[in-house]
Amino acid sequence: MIELEHVSKRFTLDDKTVTAVDDVSLKIFDGEIFGIIGFSGAGKSTLVRCINLLERPDVGNVKINNIEFTSLKPKDLYNARKKIGMIFQQFNLMPSRTVFQNVAYPLKGMSKDAISKKVRELLNLVEIGDKENAYPSELSGGQKQRVAIARALANEPDILLCDEATSALDPQTTYSILKLLKELNKKLSLTIVVITHEMEVVKTICTRAAVMDAGRIVETGDVFNIFSRPQHQMTKNFVRSTSHLSKLDDLMRENSPMVELKPGEMLVKLTYGQLDVSEPLISIAARQFNIDLNIVLADVEIVAGALIGGTVLILSGEAAKIHEAVNYFKSKGVRVDVIKSEIEDAIYKEEEVYAETEVRL
Amino acid sequence: MHEVLVEWLPNLMKRLPEFWKAAGDTVLMEVWAGAICFVLGMIFGIILTVTKPGGIMENRPVYQTLDKIINLFRSIPFIILLTALMPLSRFIMGTAIYVRGVIVPLVFGATPFFSRQVESALAQTDKGLIEAALSMGSSPFEIIFRVYLRESVAPLTRATTITAISLLGLTAMAGAVGAGGLGDFAIRYGHDRNMIDITWVTVIVLVLAVSIVQWLGDKIARKNTH
Ligand SMILES: Nc1ncnc2c1ncn2[C@@H]1O[C@H](COP(=O)(O)OP(=O)(O)OP(=O)(O)O)[C@@H](O)[C@H]1O
Ligand SMILES: [Mg+2]
Repeated sequence: MIELEHVSKRFTLDDKTVTAVDDVSLKIFDGEIFGIIGFSGAGKSTLVRCINLLERPDVGNVKINNIEFTSLKPKDLYNARKKIGMIFQQFNLMPSRTVFQNVAYPLKGMSKDAISKKVRELLNLVEIGDKENAYPSELSGGQKQRVAIARALANEPDILLCDEATSALDPQTTYSILKLLKELNKKLSLTIVVITHEMEVVKTICTRAAVMDAGRIVETGDVFNIFSRPQHQMTKNFVRSTSHLSKLDDLMRENSPMVELKPGEMLVKLTYGQLDVSEPLISIAARQFNIDLNIVLADVEIVAGALIGGTVLILSGEAAKIHEAVNYFKSKGVRVDVIKSEIEDAIYKEEEVYAETEVRL
Repeated sequence: MHEVLVEWLPNLMKRLPEFWKAAGDTVLMEVWAGAICFVLGMIFGIILTVTKPGGIMENRPVYQTLDKIINLFRSIPFIILLTALMPLSRFIMGTAIYVRGVIVPLVFGATPFFSRQVESALAQTDKGLIEAALSMGSSPFEIIFRVYLRESVAPLTRATTITAISLLGLTAMAGAVGAGGLGDFAIRYGHDRNMIDITWVTVIVLVLAVSIVQWLGDKIARKNTH
């Protein structure tokens, strides 16, 4: 278990002081894939570097598997670090060494044969066994990161720290590296800490996550909860920025014809979260209440094994039937926000509800 | 062949043994001063690199002191260093003339330059590599040998080449204070007695020597660049 207790780290540059990490307390449990997300400059890198003490906190304790890292003697710290692997955005492979030699770098005090065996085993584990004699300059980004992972795992660590490990990679390669990390997490019961500014990454592999802003952790929790019920404004911004539904605001602002209503129509946003939407709600509603449901935007995906997201619809039909349909959705646990309404008897006052579009998706 | 040489290089051919002795002295100065300078410069360059602010063994007093001393010696013209260091040379080497007597000033002249060259060669090492090595539990000493030096073979070779060539220039100057060598040979005959052939041959030999050093340096550097 990784325990950070009231960790703070300041930097002073030309008499300007930046509090990169501000009183952060955090527990990361064994076998977790824990995400730390935040915008650039939030202090994520500094925080993760405090875990293996590449950066020594000004205040606070760092405990890993019940060992007080902050009070270790240099020599013990060097040994302790061998049990915490780390990978980086820029891969940081040694250019003058081959793939084999890079992975062999952290292996010491072993016979030549034992080292060869271990290196080959690691290279096969990350599925790059055919490249052992290549130099890093001859590899693609994804291949480099695989080598870096193999090297980080050489001393059989319990923990792997990933600082923006996929940020220099294209989406497909990112996905393959994330998949590899997930497999390693299972196979080796490796605890993984993932630093990223990409919500996608957290969504794809993390079980829990913390959101960081200006050196502080503003929200911690299950990834699913963070996505479906973000509490802090920063988190909401993050979630919004990754959802296609955020386009709704643009459409509204531009008065796009897509969201133009004829009399008797209503624009609504349905938000799913934490529920089983295996029922075809929309088509049921259409049939049952005899109304038209026209999908304007949809963004539904699976996060941490559950469905999350929403749909923006234009409902048209008899006012009473629309009302019934809305109640039907609500009864199924779907959140309904009315964005705009052109219904005569105005059951829904748009002024009242419009403010809510700012709220979550 | 011999006749042709005698015809074209009359003065040199009359002083051939002296020429070989001078060339040998130059080689001796270059090798001795170069070797000492290489070791000291590496040590100082490494100390500068690791003790500078943000370095792996950050140490302000050590860095500042070494930095100032190097700047001091680099600002003294070599010709002045040659005479100023005579007492020290007598103390260490027992003499201030001949090849023996000039090793001390040569070392003082070239080491600060080489230390800076080493410092800037090592500074080219990607910070990320140091980070990675630290994260893998490497100690500072391990990082010096297994990362800094190992990853900087090419720039260090270039630094050594440049220093070796500039040291050759210094050995010629040292000839002026009685160290012997090709510089002395060229001044005494080529300049003082106007024996043009001696000047030219000396120049050609020095140019060849520089070219060989440069070629060798480039070859090693290229072989270590991946
Ligand atoms: N060595 C340092 N010296 C001075 N300031 C630093 C140093 N390292 C980080 N900072 C400052 O601390 C703050 C947090 O930096 P950090 O690198 O931890 O952010 P980050 O969340 O990782 O950002 P990014 O996503 O851009 O990597 C920034 O304002 C940065 O300028
Ligand atoms: Mg960062």
